[in-house]
Amino acid sequence: MKRSVRICIFTVLALAGTAFLLYGVFSGQFASVLTKAAHICLECIGIG
Amino acid sequence: MAKAKRVKGEWKRLTVQAAAFLLMNPKLHHFFLGTIEQGKTKSICVPGLNCYSCPAAIGACPIGSLQASLSAGYKKPAFPFYVLGFLLLFGLTLGRWICGWLCPFGWVQDLVYRIPFFKKIRTFPYERFLRWLKYAVLGVLVIGLPLLSAFSGVLVPWFCKLVCPAGTLFGGIPLVLANPSLRGQLGFLFWWKVGVLLALLLLSLLISRPFCRYLCPLGAIYGMFNRIALVHLRFEGDKCVDCGRCETVCPMGIDPRKQFNSAECIRCGRCARSCPVDALHMRFGLRMKDDSHKKSTI
Repeated sequence: MKRSVRICIFTVLALAGTAFLLYGVFSGQFASVLTKAAHICLECIGIG
Repeated sequence: MAKAKRVKGEWKRLTVQAAAFLLMNPKLHHFFLGTIEQGKTKSICVPGLNCYSCPAAIGACPIGSLQASLSAGYKKPAFPFYVLGFLLLFGLTLGRWICGWLCPFGWVQDLVYRIPFFKKIRTFPYERFLRWLKYAVLGVLVIGLPLLSAFSGVLVPWFCKLVCPAGTLFGGIPLVLANPSLRGQLGFLFWWKVGVLLALLLLSLLISRPFCRYLCPLGAIYGMFNRIALVHLRFEGDKCVDCGRCETVCPMGIDPRKQFNSAECIRCGRCARSCPVDALHMRFGLRMKDDSHKKSTI
């Protein structure tokens, strides 16, 4: 893969990742992650 | 008894893996209480496959969070911006270096593989096809079925429920041992997951990192970034003397001379450390040269 193409893909994805993360924080999506993670996930441990 | 091939400096990687486990799971007292940590840091995804139901975990598993986010909207799927943001940034910076150096279940498989066994094998028959299984697991169990569950308004993390051995090892078994109320609820599903875990640990005696090779959806995601991630492997073909030592010590059963950009490479650096002529190097940063010498075949 050419260096210019690689840098272009890297930059676009880095900007998208940052934007997604910030949007997720400000739209409250992190709260649904916290809700799931802060309680015992019965499916994860093989009970639910 | 066959032994795993030893490489100089391997203890450094095992130490980093152990430290990463402790950094992601520092609240060890919960193991004795039979409870899990509930702090606000659990809204942040950790890079490796570290179950958020591990009693000591202070972060969220990205695969569990991805499934939870997909079915977060009541009776309609939600686009998981937050978790995808983490996955993109982790993948772009570290790629599958996370698998080789930070993932707790990768560490467990590495430790088990070091136990001498009557035979050690590099690859299974139909290896190339088996490796595609992890993309099927990602598509069906992590994305497809949780999306379908979202339409019914019920959150079901299918990968965690049916497969995830990290959840069983670090979450299920410790919680069930320490918490009598959970012990009373054990059923077929728990024993199925224990069976999956045992099968993978037994396979790890025979072949290096079977879960990472064939089933891990997080490895499938990070592998897509290996060509552009900041952490990368550089191969200098003009220095190579084709001794094949790098291929022999590779825990993922690939040939680093031809597949240094492969999505299968976990950037453990064993090949670079075993190379007698320094033809392979681990690097961090944007790649300043085009891929040259021998092209990647995967």
